[in-house]
Amino acid sequence: MAKVWEIKSSATGKKLETCARQIIATRFREMMSYKEGARDGTDIECVHDMRVASRRLRAAMDNFMDCFPKKPFKKRYKHVKAITRTMGCVRDLDVLIAHFQKELSTLSEAEQGDIQGLIEHLRQKRDEARKPMLALFAELEACDFEEKFLTFFEGL
Amino acid sequence: MAKAHKITGVEPQHSYCANARIILPQKVEEVYMWETFIRNPARREELHNMRIAIKRLRYTMELFGVVYKPKKRFTECLAVLVDLQEILGDVHDSDVVLDVLTDYAYRCGDGAARDALAPGVATLIARTRETRKADYETFLEKWEHLSAKGFKQKLLAIFAA
Repeated sequence: MAKVWEIKSSATGKKLETCARQIIATRFREMMSYKEGARDGTDIECVHDMRVASRRLRAAMDNFMDCFPKKPFKKRYKHVKAITRTMGCVRDLDVLIAHFQKELSTLSEAEQGDIQGLIEHLRQKRDEARKPMLALFAELEACDFEEKFLTFFEGL
Repeated sequence: MAKAHKITGVEPQHSYCANARIILPQKVEEVYMWETFIRNPARREELHNMRIAIKRLRYTMELFGVVYKPKKRFTECLAVLVDLQEILGDVHDSDVVLDVLTDYAYRCGDGAARDALAPGVATLIARTRETRKADYETFLEKWEHLSAKGFKQKLLAIFAA
């Protein structure tokens, strides 16, 4: 798993609101840095890293929501939640496929056949689960989500 | 999965440091609200919710780590939480694997085949049950040990310092 990005300066004496803006923007950039890898799909760790980063971002947003106007904050929060959800569906299947592949070598030849079938079934489900994730990425790009998110948290 | 509790009493115009003392104890309470259920291994939903609550506490501690110096005791507690989260993660993974195997067996089987699981599936179900049982026991043992040592009080004392 990728190392968590360091927040440059959350000096303890600073106002919470100032720090919250900086933390949320950093966590957001961290999450989005994995998007192209997740879209590509070759390296399953990119989906995992993006999902973990989205959870860290949500933890920050949960803690600091009182620093921001409610309505626009909620709108952005919902989008992040949708990212976690769609990434989660793909990641859960990646984990299962890897788990059963690892188990294969411990089974007899006859038993392996049963589990090969299951792995194939899970691979098909994973391909299906990637579709909503890709559609969400396209939707977020079409509405300039990234720019709007950063403008809201950094630009005020 | 249970939603994160709404954090109350946050003061955006006060210092980051002052707000750490408001937010972190609430995250601790969110973890401990699941404690009543964890001695029953069948309460898988609650065990999962405790894992998620621990994860939320962990991420919040990472955010506020800069506030607490010297860091040694803070970092030690964080490592304990990461360990608990990982064991509960293993328990949850086994639950999911069992669901998938059972579901797959029933999807593939018909009539008599449902009574006699495919050998590969049956082997993995038996093995995963054992793994789940061992992981759950490890978790509970660690939890009881931490409780006996006053881990919650230690956490709250660190956050209040």
